[in-house]
Amino acid sequence: MNPETMRNAEVGMRNGSDRLRALNVQQRVVVELDDSGAPVVVKREPGNGKRIESIGETWRIDDEWWRMPIVRRYVEVILEGGGRLVLFEDLMTGEWFAQMPT
Amino acid sequence: MTRPPHLTSDSAACCWIPLFALRCEVARRPELASHPQPLALLAPDASRRLWQVAPLARRAGVKPGMTVSQAIGLCPSLKLCEPDPVHYDEQFALLLAALSAVSPVIEPAELGRVFVGTDGLEGLYGAPEKIVEAIKCGVRNAECGIEVGSQLVHSALHTPHSALRLGWGKGKFVSWVAATRARPGGAVIVRPGEEMNFLASQPIAVLPLDPDTHRRLLQLGIKTLGALAALPEEAVVSQFGRAGRRVWRLAAGRIAEPVVGRVVPEPIVAALTFFSGIGERELLEHALDQLLERALRNPRRIGWRVQVVRVRAELEHGASWLATATLKEPSAVRERLAAPLKTQLERSPPAGAVERLAVEFTGFAPGTAELQLFARDANAAARAGRRRALQSAAREITLRVKRPMLYHVIEVQPWSRLPERRYALIDYEP
Repeated sequence: MNPETMRNAEVGMRNGSDRLRALNVQQRVVVELDDSGAPVVVKREPGNGKRIESIGETWRIDDEWWRMPIVRRYVEVILEGGGRLVLFEDLMTGEWFAQMPT
Repeated sequence: MTRPPHLTSDSAACCWIPLFALRCEVARRPELASHPQPLALLAPDASRRLWQVAPLARRAGVKPGMTVSQAIGLCPSLKLCEPDPVHYDEQFALLLAALSAVSPVIEPAELGRVFVGTDGLEGLYGAPEKIVEAIKCGVRNAECGIEVGSQLVHSALHTPHSALRLGWGKGKFVSWVAATRARPGGAVIVRPGEEMNFLASQPIAVLPLDPDTHRRLLQLGIKTLGALAALPEEAVVSQFGRAGRRVWRLAAGRIAEPVVGRVVPEPIVAALTFFSGIGERELLEHALDQLLERALRNPRRIGWRVQVVRVRAELEHGASWLATATLKEPSAVRERLAAPLKTQLERSPPAGAVERLAVEFTGFAPGTAELQLFARDANAAARAGRRRALQSAAREITLRVKRPMLYHVIEVQPWSRLPERRYALIDYEP
């Protein structure tokens, strides 16, 4: 896959020829943290937050340091009501994103 | 158990239609022919890799064996076709049937490549040029009869730049190499005694080699069959073993493998005797399906498609009933064999209760290796049927909503640590 297609896939767009569409693209979310830096509330839309019941695994990814570095802190969470979600913080920009667990 | 007798021929003609399966798709889908575009056919297995690639796509760097994501990355406008092996098999069977009208010795090698034994044909046609012409003519004449029912052989061979390439020589290897040297629609004839000279200048790519041996030969500076044949046979054997001996002998023209035809099998019969006479059409149809299934599973049928099928019923009071169907396109699929028989059963049913029902396959057309791979059993036929149904449904959805709504999930970088890079959706285009 060429870099352009890959970049488009990363942000959930179709490529120039309208053929490929990436699956499980991350969605930007707003996350409220407690004093220790652990997420306690996740909001997909302003004013529509969900409380986090418990936190599962956490891990970190450092990749592609040779071009545009990707540094992420992943947190697997259980939301109130029982839904599972994977959140990650882009440590380069400080933004939070949500993805479906794999 | 006695082995069936084989027909053999030392002199051979090789008929070759490159990218046969892809041509089948273009032949039955006019929109592909009218707007040339980069085209590729997916492999008929679970790998989801490319199988055959059209020249336009090759120019963009797309090659057989690539994954879909690799190919789309190189050529975003690439059109992918789902494979329909049963259809290709049927069309190839038509070509074989056409060739068997010219010579009784036919040996299919792979889809789109078949050897025709030509020993004895000189008495009918004359010099090799005339024999080659007769083969072309035989195919053309046969095409007239299949033009309505099938477009494949017609369009594959009758395009302005006919795709059929013919080679003639002693043994299968020489004729195959000659076919690879022929122009589309043309023929190359290697006369007896000229084999060594002809082969000497050919590239080693024509040898049946694995990629590793091929690479090693090139690294040793051996680029032509002449260069290989110039080496001592034992030196080649010491490097490459048994395979080395075979390729050296092929390169030196020491092996002339004959074309081996097959004798058409004896009729296959499957019969069922009922405890009491039955008259209900549904029951008879069910019994017919069972008998066809049993007859198709007969080992003698493997490698052959059924062209003529007959149903005999013994009725109470000594009467009988008979229905015969000659299929325009030979088939190994139960439903296709059953359809004309069931129509006859409905239109002119037996005049009494049936006590014994028998199915006979009396006419056969040669199949191919692919037939044995893809269409030999009912499961493969069912898979092909499901694929066709899916394609039809997809076309209907596209027509209704004006945009594709079905997608394939393809692997992009399944090994990636970033989840969004692992898989992607691509439009499903039947």
